[in-house]
Amino acid sequence: MEEKTTSNRANPYLIPAAIVIAGGLVAVAMLMNGTGNTPIVANTGTNQPTQAAPQPTGSTDAVRPVDETDHIKGDPNAPIKIVEYSDFECPFCKRFHDTMNEVMASDLGTSGQVAWVYRQFPLEQLHPVKAMAEAVASECAAELGGNDAFWQFADRFMELTPSNNQTQIETVIPQIVQEIGLDQTAFQTCFESGKYDDHIEADIANAIETGGRGTPWSILIGPDGTTYPINGAQPVAAIEQLISIASDGQ
Amino acid sequence: MGKQILTVFRKPKYLLLATTVAVLVFTFAIWLPNLSLLAKVLHPDSAGSIAQKAGFVWSLYGSISTNFTVLSASYTIVIAVLFGVNISLLAYYITRMRGGVRSVSSTSAAGLSGLVSGIFGIGCAACGTFILTSVLAVFGATGFLAWLPFGGEEFGLLGVGLLLYSIFLLDKKINDPLVCEIK
Repeated sequence: MEEKTTSNRANPYLIPAAIVIAGGLVAVAMLMNGTGNTPIVANTGTNQPTQAAPQPTGSTDAVRPVDETDHIKGDPNAPIKIVEYSDFECPFCKRFHDTMNEVMASDLGTSGQVAWVYRQFPLEQLHPVKAMAEAVASECAAELGGNDAFWQFADRFMELTPSNNQTQIETVIPQIVQEIGLDQTAFQTCFESGKYDDHIEADIANAIETGGRGTPWSILIGPDGTTYPINGAQPVAAIEQLISIASDGQ
Repeated sequence: MGKQILTVFRKPKYLLLATTVAVLVFTFAIWLPNLSLLAKVLHPDSAGSIAQKAGFVWSLYGSISTNFTVLSASYTIVIAVLFGVNISLLAYYITRMRGGVRSVSSTSAAGLSGLVSGIFGIGCAACGTFILTSVLAVFGATGFLAWLPFGGEEFGLLGVGLLLYSIFLLDKKINDPLVCEIK
């Protein structure tokens, strides 16, 4: 006859081992998320490895100063600037695009207190070909129609398209180009030229340098130059609260 | 399954424990993508009043509707609740049944695995924002995400499954009388 207790035969090291492994994984992941070494972006759309990608410092202070080459919605001299690094194929970028449009339509935007700066951060590994092509298309829209055309293109693109590689770029890009009244031949020439590859690569490099690991990745620059990292599609209330906090740092 | 769980949660202290743990896990999931921003805003030397800072911290809870898919928001809430239930049942079992930590190691392991798996599934995996992509990046395997049909959200669903299994095991153990069985 064999006797056993119902529950004392389990390995006594199982709990400590599970806790250590779980804690270790989470700690490593959080460390990587916070200070990061390896961004998800590994390719810039020209099918070349990231030989030029800088080592990320994770410091938002490395954000490239906003200048006239940027796509800016609102007053370029606004004391607070939100620099967004975005991917046209990312569903959360679409949500954050709506959020930022709401912020810019509020008193914060119309009074000239906040400006929104759009920079390119196409995630080639997650959205191959399409994200980069869409970034190029938006730059060509800006070249042919100026800053307003860029924002018309971006707003309409975010409104019309699905995400995660579902976009039919062959039809939707020409449609938007036509809607906003750009010269379609000149657009096609620009689109196929590859002339904006370096510009987009520079945006991607700066996103990584500032600690961006994914999209949307944004940096709020306060009146005193203090920078605040915003990871993901945060709600309007959070952005407004952050603007209010940053405004105090004058 | 279920009777014992109801018995446990009729006791206010276990209900309170489960609620507290669930709120903590949910808060962790919500704040996780912006821990560095929170640290900057909440730093004593940073700009803004205490009310503004409190308002900002509270406003981040709204990201459950903007920074999560419907699926990931759902399993994030479910994982938080299930982990709270899990911890509470574990506490009940250890204190009331006097079985000791060793006797529940398998259920604890299932519960912890569920939580970790759930954390990996949190948020915008499709955009590479959170923990899973960071872990994969360590191994240079971020492209793996593009091959997953739900872009990494599978881990969240796996977490729900593991936590349910852990609760099932705990419920069974609480039901079992502590006797020496004749085999």
